[in-house]
Amino acid sequence: MSTTLINTALLLMMAVAAVAIARTRNLFSVVILGSLYSFLMATILLVLDAVDVSMTEAAVGAGISTVLLLATLYLTQSEEAKPHHNPLIPLAVALVTVGLLAYGTLGLPEFGSPDSVIHKHVAPRYLKEGPTETGVPNIVTAVLASYRGFDTLGEVGVIFTAGIGVIVLLRRRWRSDVDEKDT
Amino acid sequence: MTHEIINLASWLSISAGSIFCLIGALGLLRMPDFFTRMHAASVIDTLGAGLLLFGMMLQAGFTLVSVKLVFVGLLLFFTSPTATHALARAARARGLGPKLPDRK
Amino acid sequence: MRGDLVLRVIAKLLIPFILVFALYVQFHGDFGPGGGFQAGVIVAAAIIFHALIYGLPMTRRVVPEWVVEIMLASGILIFAGVGVATMLLGANFLDYSVLAHEPAHGQHRGIFLVELGVGITVTGVMLMIFYMFAGRSRSPHSEK
Repeated sequence: MSTTLINTALLLMMAVAAVAIARTRNLFSVVILGSLYSFLMATILLVLDAVDVSMTEAAVGAGISTVLLLATLYLTQSEEAKPHHNPLIPLAVALVTVGLLAYGTLGLPEFGSPDSVIHKHVAPRYLKEGPTETGVPNIVTAVLASYRGFDTLGEVGVIFTAGIGVIVLLRRRWRSDVDEKDT
Repeated sequence: MTHEIINLASWLSISAGSIFCLIGALGLLRMPDFFTRMHAASVIDTLGAGLLLFGMMLQAGFTLVSVKLVFVGLLLFFTSPTATHALARAARARGLGPKLPDRK
Repeated sequence: MRGDLVLRVIAKLLIPFILVFALYVQFHGDFGPGGGFQAGVIVAAAIIFHALIYGLPMTRRVVPEWVVEIMLASGILIFAGVGVATMLLGANFLDYSVLAHEPAHGQHRGIFLVELGVGITVTGVMLMIFYMFAGRSRSPHSEK
């Protein structure tokens, strides 16, 4: 009962923050509201017992992302441009999609129920034999690094590609930056 | 018997901490000026968080969890005045002054 | 904010503790919440904090760009290298059981090395993105 109350309160605050992000013009406020949204998300993940993800979300979303967005905001103007067209049709499309998705979730098994199909295949084996087979008590680390090691390799590859992409697109020699502006 | 006293003390402490958080939030909304709002919000970091942590420490007893809570309290002790200082300095650098009464 | 006395003192006080905490999260990921991703992000956050207080040129002197580039690449090299090492020892790719005399020890060692690789790459990428973004100056045509 109290968990439901906490979850509902946190989700309501997240919805309010999301609506405020969409409606605010001043981009600086939007960045700070985005950081607040990430922090609320981290709290909800903590209530749902996903502590590893919560730690990552708090550090990345509420910390580094905000700093990067503020650094970007320094380079451009801080007021959002007025939209050119009336957003009624996109709003209708978004609402219809949300309705269809919400209707689709009615067919899923109940949230967190142990009888759902995904908990029957390999998950019992990971939970039962994980600590003895891998010697690591934390099941999340065991699954991430050992049982599903390929996926983690792919993840690190994706992060590496993001870094390479940023270097290729944004790196400039300082001297040529000055030369470009002179010509 | 002492178990009951510890429970009651931690209950009182957590409730008092929550009430101070509410007072700080109310002050954040209702205060007239930027600097007074910051001053009201600092109640949350000092009394609110301190009493909440103390109540949790009473619940945890003499275990490692209490030591971790002490470290959380130390972190808040060092970082929240720094944040307030940085905010106030940024506001002064932008030229925002406190709202003084009109002298006529 | 640069050069303010209170902020400089607090930064000098806190950054070592943040780095030690990141190491704790990295190596304690076997027994509690943590692991490579979290530790990498925390190290990057500590260095970004240093850059905010002391200025970007000073941080570029402490953690130069070539160090960040090497970190970026060597993390994924360690990860893939563990896979190649297990293949050279006779088992499948990323089968950690052959890394030691006992399968459970081998798994433990493999997980340790793999998480280290993940942490190093995540730190490198976050720092590289920050250096690229924060190092740009305001060009004249963006002032409207």
